[in-house]
Amino acid sequence: MVFNSLHFIWFFIVVYAVYRMLPHRPQNWLLLVASYYFYGSWDWRFLGLLVASTIVDFSCALALDRSHSPRRRRMLLCLSLGFNLALLGFFKYFNFFADNLHVVFDSLGWQADFVTLRVLLPIGISFYTFVTMSYVIDVYRREIPATRDLLDFAVFVAYFPHLVAGPILRASLLLPQISTPRIVTREQVRDGLWLIAWGFFQKIFVADNLAAVANMVFDPGAHPTGINVLLGTYAFAFQIYGDFAGYSNVARGTSKLMGIELLENFRFPYFVRTAQDFWRHWHISLSTWLRDYLYIPLGGSRGSGGRTRRNLLITMVLGGLWHGAAWTFVLWGVYQGLLLIAYRAAGRVRALHLWIAGSGALARVTSWAVMFHFTCYGWLIFRARSAEHAGALSRALFTGFDPASVAISGALAPLLLYTAPLLLVHGIEAYYDDLLVVPRLSPGMRYCVYAATFYLTMLFGNYGGAAFIYFQF
Amino acid sequence: MASDLSRRRIRRAAICLVIFGAQFGMFEVALRTWGSSEAAPSFQGLFTDDPAIGYRLKPGARLRFTTAEFDTDISINRAGVRDDDDINTKAENERRILLIGDSLVLAVQVPFQQTFGELLERRLNAAASPYTYRVINAGVQGYGPVEELLLFRALGRQVQPDIVVETLFVGNDAEEAVASAHRLTAGSRRSRDAIRETVAIRMRRVVRRSMVLQVLRLRIASATGRFAWASGPPEPPLQSYAAVAAPRIAEGLAITRQVVDQMILEADSAGARTAVVLMPARFQLDDADYGRLRAAVAEAGGELMRDGATARFREALAGSNAPVFDPLPAMRAVPPGPDLFFQQTVHLTPRGHEVVATALEGFLHRTGLLDPPAGR
Repeated sequence: MVFNSLHFIWFFIVVYAVYRMLPHRPQNWLLLVASYYFYGSWDWRFLGLLVASTIVDFSCALALDRSHSPRRRRMLLCLSLGFNLALLGFFKYFNFFADNLHVVFDSLGWQADFVTLRVLLPIGISFYTFVTMSYVIDVYRREIPATRDLLDFAVFVAYFPHLVAGPILRASLLLPQISTPRIVTREQVRDGLWLIAWGFFQKIFVADNLAAVANMVFDPGAHPTGINVLLGTYAFAFQIYGDFAGYSNVARGTSKLMGIELLENFRFPYFVRTAQDFWRHWHISLSTWLRDYLYIPLGGSRGSGGRTRRNLLITMVLGGLWHGAAWTFVLWGVYQGLLLIAYRAAGRVRALHLWIAGSGALARVTSWAVMFHFTCYGWLIFRARSAEHAGALSRALFTGFDPASVAISGALAPLLLYTAPLLLVHGIEAYYDDLLVVPRLSPGMRYCVYAATFYLTMLFGNYGGAAFIYFQF
Repeated sequence: MASDLSRRRIRRAAICLVIFGAQFGMFEVALRTWGSSEAAPSFQGLFTDDPAIGYRLKPGARLRFTTAEFDTDISINRAGVRDDDDINTKAENERRILLIGDSLVLAVQVPFQQTFGELLERRLNAAASPYTYRVINAGVQGYGPVEELLLFRALGRQVQPDIVVETLFVGNDAEEAVASAHRLTAGSRRSRDAIRETVAIRMRRVVRRSMVLQVLRLRIASATGRFAWASGPPEPPLQSYAAVAAPRIAEGLAITRQVVDQMILEADSAGARTAVVLMPARFQLDDADYGRLRAAVAEAGGELMRDGATARFREALAGSNAPVFDPLPAMRAVPPGPDLFFQQTVHLTPRGHEVVATALEGFLHRTGLLDPPAGR
């Protein structure tokens, strides 16, 4: 069941109507049943994994909370993390590592029979394992107490708006909202409805329409010139943003309607001027997770420059690998790590620092444009079918630009048409520094945006029902 | 205080209405200007109101119709049919074939010279024959069997046909017949049903005239069509193909039979013979299309029979005094090559017209319709 389907809309209407009639505890039961139904509608067989993950982490956290023996606590932490990482490793990375070991052995001339399993990737596994791992680590660190209520914990893990594509929520944010009665305010309903409408716009109008432009460049058999690689990469940059930010907004919107506040997951990521800022604005729930549970435990920026660079690189490579078992994701992680290192180094050079952090119009525009193109180049690596494909596209980009071959009606016009309304609304939001400014605008302005969003989505949206890109992660 | 609040709410509602209305107008203008659709005013200029039929092609209208797939010049002659030339007095050795039908006959997607009617005329005139043939394309976008009978009545005397070819589109003509049945008894119905139907027809016309409303209607139809328990049986155009068709399909087939019998009778009294052609829908020939639609119908709990509508029309017309021609086998037998139908519309490509023209010529010969009638 995807958000952009009538199945989901009816599902949500029914769940919401019943939800509003129930008191707190039955509401949680309803959320659990609805969430399991939502997840089971993909493939009911994987519900077992979700339930197992819930029970193991609930029990480990409870035992951690009660225990005062450091050794026992470490053992419990390892048990929980080991379980979650084993799930991820088996379902997501088994074939990747088996295939690559096979290649290595072959190249060394060693004969070895590797088992390759037809393992199906359970949807959302990267998200919910990260959610439960962060919970157990927080309990281990005694940053939060373990919940004693299995129902609350099961709802926290399976809560359907964030279950399959995030945001990756922390227990400190969501559990208190689940365990205490919720009051739905008028503002929450208004903001929630706007977020849902805006999320659908981002997905159906922006992302799904731009997918055709991106596919023209990245699909097998395409031999685009440099200028069209550039346009296709821009298209993919906005496609993946519209897709994922759209999902996050629908998730936030539906949650608001139920009186639950989720994290902002995106905050104008393409308006930033440094790599550090990009990761503060893009997939915020993942980048903060990586920061808190990987980068800082590795030592963060506390040690020498070399150590910091190493930590950045490890964090970003693992972050890249989190997106999927493919070398392009590893490469993308390396690229992002190097970008962070480069910007960190640039910040120490006075002239470059003045340029990156400068407030003059020229410095702002040029440093933004440079960072935007660095980001887009990252998306080229991310979207390429293989490392060789990324190399071929890069060659076309840098050595066969050929501006005269620009695909005006196939790429340029749709790119402008489908990104302009998005950027216009983001411009207003960025001006007020508020992602929820639209429902707070004057009635005239507000209705203008509502009407345009409605007409553009209905008249020009792509209703092919494409799944969200981040479901595969 | 309370009245202040309600006044504020009314003001907001008015602002909201005005803004939605203004943007509606803006998008309507934009779509009409750049949308290249049949709802565009330039295309609508091809039609004029008609008190009996509802609308007809406008005599003397000319336009260039351009979409992403084709770019066609369209001329309507003084008789109100698509033709580059007028229909003059019938010559002694001239034989006229009147092709009646809907958009598949009118064929705005291809130049006039490439329509199957015109190709048929050229083929017949190229063969050794004592006659000169004139094929008259009397297809009108959106017509169903009832409108086609009424157009025949309006044109019959003027064009003096020897052969009338009633071209039925099996995909939706049963539905269209039900929707227009009241025209057969115009003025005699005063029931609430008739009023409701008139309102529905007017609403449909309003929607058809607005591009924004048309798109919204399609969005809603496709969304509800994809959603199993909201849609029930498949969408109207596919109803004729459903394994278990709705009762209105049987009703539509009965009306079609009645219309065809009436046409045969009236044509006969004017000295013309009648034939019926059953034009298939694209998915009957396009496997990918068929697979997609079959899945959609299955999802909605129905079963799509690929040639179900053709079989139903055949059965409904069995025993009538007109030979029935099904071009489907001929279209299926063509060797691989360019598509017979356009991708973005469900109409014939130039190659499709060529195939139909050849098959139709063979049919006219086989059935002896081209032979002079005995005793004349």
